[in-house]
Amino acid sequence: MNIVVSIKQIPNLTDELEINAEGTGLDHDALQYVLNEFDEHAIEEAVLAKEATGGTVTVIGVDTTGELDGALHTALAKGADSAVKITGDFPRGTDSHTQAKLIADAIRGMSPDIVLTGVQAADDRDGQIGPMIAAHLGVPYVGVVTGVQVKEGKAVVHKEYAGGVMAEFEVALPMVVGVQAAHQPPRYAPVSKIRQIAKTAKIDEVTGGAGPRAGSTVRRMFKPESAGHAEMWEGSPEEVADKIATLLAEKGLVKRG
Amino acid sequence: MLALTERTIFVLMVAVFGSITLWGFFNMYRIVRRGRAASKFQNLIPQAVKAFLEVGLQTPVYKSRLILTTFHAFIFFGFSYYLLVNLNDLLEGFLPGYSTAEVSTGIIGPLNFLGDVLSIGVLLGVVVFLVRRFIAKDKRLEFNKDVLLYPAVEKGGVKRDSLVVGGFILLHVGSRFTGQALRLAERSIINPMQPFASALSFALRALPPSAFTSAIHASWWIAIGLIVVFLPYFIISKHVHIIAAPVNLGLAKQGERGHLDPAVPPGAPPDLAPGAATLADLAWPRLMDAYACIMCNRCQDVCPAHNSLRPLSPSALEINKRYWLNENFTGFAGGAASPPLTEFAISPEAVWACTTCFACVRVCPVGNEPMADIVDIRRRMVNDGAELDSGIQSTLEKIGKTGNSFGQAARNRAKWAATLDFKIKDARKEAMEFLWFVGDYASFDARVQEITRTVARVLKSAGVDFGILYDGERNSGNDVRRVGEEGLFEQLAEQNIAAMSKCNFQRVITTDPHTLNALKNEYPDYGGKWDTIHYTRLLAQLIDEGQIKLAKKLDYRVTFHDPCYLGRYNKGFNPPRALIQATGCEFVEMPRNKENSYCCGAGGGQIWMGTTPPGERPAENRIREALAALATLNGHGGNGAKPDKPLLFVVACPKDVVMYTDAVKTTGNEGKIEVKDVIQLIAEAMGEELQTSNSQLQNAVPA
Ligand code: SF4
Ligand code: SF4
Repeated sequence: MNIVVSIKQIPNLTDELEINAEGTGLDHDALQYVLNEFDEHAIEEAVLAKEATGGTVTVIGVDTTGELDGALHTALAKGADSAVKITGDFPRGTDSHTQAKLIADAIRGMSPDIVLTGVQAADDRDGQIGPMIAAHLGVPYVGVVTGVQVKEGKAVVHKEYAGGVMAEFEVALPMVVGVQAAHQPPRYAPVSKIRQIAKTAKIDEVTGGAGPRAGSTVRRMFKPESAGHAEMWEGSPEEVADKIATLLAEKGLVKRG
Repeated sequence: MLALTERTIFVLMVAVFGSITLWGFFNMYRIVRRGRAASKFQNLIPQAVKAFLEVGLQTPVYKSRLILTTFHAFIFFGFSYYLLVNLNDLLEGFLPGYSTAEVSTGIIGPLNFLGDVLSIGVLLGVVVFLVRRFIAKDKRLEFNKDVLLYPAVEKGGVKRDSLVVGGFILLHVGSRFTGQALRLAERSIINPMQPFASALSFALRALPPSAFTSAIHASWWIAIGLIVVFLPYFIISKHVHIIAAPVNLGLAKQGERGHLDPAVPPGAPPDLAPGAATLADLAWPRLMDAYACIMCNRCQDVCPAHNSLRPLSPSALEINKRYWLNENFTGFAGGAASPPLTEFAISPEAVWACTTCFACVRVCPVGNEPMADIVDIRRRMVNDGAELDSGIQSTLEKIGKTGNSFGQAARNRAKWAATLDFKIKDARKEAMEFLWFVGDYASFDARVQEITRTVARVLKSAGVDFGILYDGERNSGNDVRRVGEEGLFEQLAEQNIAAMSKCNFQRVITTDPHTLNALKNEYPDYGGKWDTIHYTRLLAQLIDEGQIKLAKKLDYRVTFHDPCYLGRYNKGFNPPRALIQATGCEFVEMPRNKENSYCCGAGGGQIWMGTTPPGERPAENRIREALAALATLNGHGGNGAKPDKPLLFVVACPKDVVMYTDAVKTTGNEGKIEVKDVIQLIAEAMGEELQTSNSQLQNAVPA
């Protein structure tokens, strides 16, 4: 079983997001990049599938940050067998069309039985990478998947619909799966193992060509503008109660005695 | 003297039972040798002298349970003296005409007196112990409901062993004592130097004269023959502590308490997995622990996890290890593997309940370190990718990604300082005397930041030349190491040391006792050798030198909680107390203070756990203890009378502020007692002397 996982890095959302000077996107250079959380689930599901049926897991991503190695080492520490990074002039925040094309080109020659990827990523929220890889490769795609079982030439995937309805698909391999959640929480990769791997493991490098570019551009990116504002009142319960009473009286809702 | 056949039988018995015993000790040695290498023991002779004195004076036993320990001391002194007594008995058995029962003069006189009195001491002591276990059924000898027990332990192995040992001592000493009385009764004399035996001899005079010889012989056999028969049992009994415990004390942990041994012994082959999965993965002194353990449960008494009804018992861990070894004695000695420790010694849930408070290690009378096993088991679980508590896992991931347990961007680390009306020096750019290592909680937790600012203001007002690392600081890794993530700890230590090495400063101060511990005790191994102190020590010094002037006398009644990593680990007992006293507050100690302080329950990664188990949490227990202590002070009725001054629970650890503020709420004691950091008392007492301000907060005061 030849399992491939496509990953990408996105800005760390616990960080305060900054908008660039043009107001057309994030100020990528000011942000810290981490692995897309859904991709972490894709890696876990891939390793679980390998543990269940045997085979190899290859993790691949476009290096848009110069720091993809860290994520690849972590994946290797979690049980992936090999790692590939696509290099080239791909800046942070490279659009999903480009990334999907680069990955599809890189993995075509690997003849994967199944490709797993996060169903979406918080940076562009378009959930396109999986379907586009499938389109480029000409294989079926199922998204929002919460569990994959592979059996001779077929995969049984569980998909979650809104309202708590589940569906089970049987799909002929090869296929692409957009993972919503692995059927077990992603495992922890001990740092000593990651560091060990960083010293010894080899990451294959593939030079990526030009991507198709996204068909759309972001015209304006901005933080939500608040319509009003909240005022916090501090003080003892009596004081606050008094302020409330005054306010209500001011607005003419009650009369102050 | 014994008859020839008796002497022959005795010699044969010594040969047979003695050989079995030697074989047993040899296997015990092989068992202990199966453990991994331990860190080097240095100064063996001074250590041996220290252990000898400790055993001789029973000081490690006197760390808790004073009354029972006194009875133990009776038994200990009696038994030690009995080495001499038994030698004398052997001579009586083998030398024709040699008898000392009636001698009251010369050197033998006082020796007889000691033997007589100590025999009664031993008998009394053993009776007390047996009564306490079997009649009074002391609850402390029991385990919590869900504690994992090895089947032999579950079936009451410890009880049976205690009964055998107690019975042996009663028979051995009782019989020897009776033998003395018989000898006196036979000749109808009394020996003033054997007052108790003489008293018994009156009663024994009633025996028919023909019975004396055989009765004396019987008493000899029950006293001395019994030892020989008992010797092989000794190996599998907890009584072997009389040999293992002194050895263990001699080999007790050296160096700082807060320095954990590395996850793999130095010089080990590179593929050796870190930490411990099975018995043979433990360092050999940890196998010795199982033999030294006297199964007293003193460690359990002080364990915060046990007291909040969690399934952790440090004593059960040692006892399980021992009973497994008893049942697999030659097999393990010969190289067989043990099952995973988490299957027979300690449950995974218990492994994750430990706060690494060190109380069990501190209190153990025989120098055992159950906590070291627990950390090693965690290390292996983390290494093997075992399923971790979700809170712990996500915190480790956050620390790995962002360098702090809050998962915040590094550049937010010093945000707390932005509202001060002065700029704290940036250690990466300027030289300074004190580098202040602020720590995660003090930096990021909204409930603690105001306290952190107060520390800065006090230092500034006192003219201390200090600075911080700003975004250059990372989690110190103290608790990361204690949840078993050795690699992440090393990475953090290296990163912090690299950042600090580029700065120009003389000493380090910390607000968080956990960071204090890592920097002071563990960073030196990684090349970070600085003089690191807790800020309470610096402040106490500044007050002494008059650099901080306390303008106001405070009128609170306060108690102080020693944080584990400041107090028990790093002996920082006095500075916080000196600070409190300097403010003029009325100070009350809680019953559990200093060395015996009770953990708040946050350490060892517990504060990161995703779930709060049911039951009284350690911090809640502590708040109740504080209220009781504060209420029993003179001039203040304990029965709900309104206190004449506000009560404070004073802490010196940012995590404590969080833990106890919460516990005051959950115990429904809001308004009755308030949690404050020492620094807040100092700031209040400084009054006008505190020159700096927190500008933004002042602006924020509603108009
Ligand atoms: S480990 Fe120490 S304190 Fe605990 S039961 Fe054994 S001897 Fe007692
Ligand atoms: S270190 Fe503290 S919490 Fe852990 S076992 Fe010992 S006493 Fe219990």
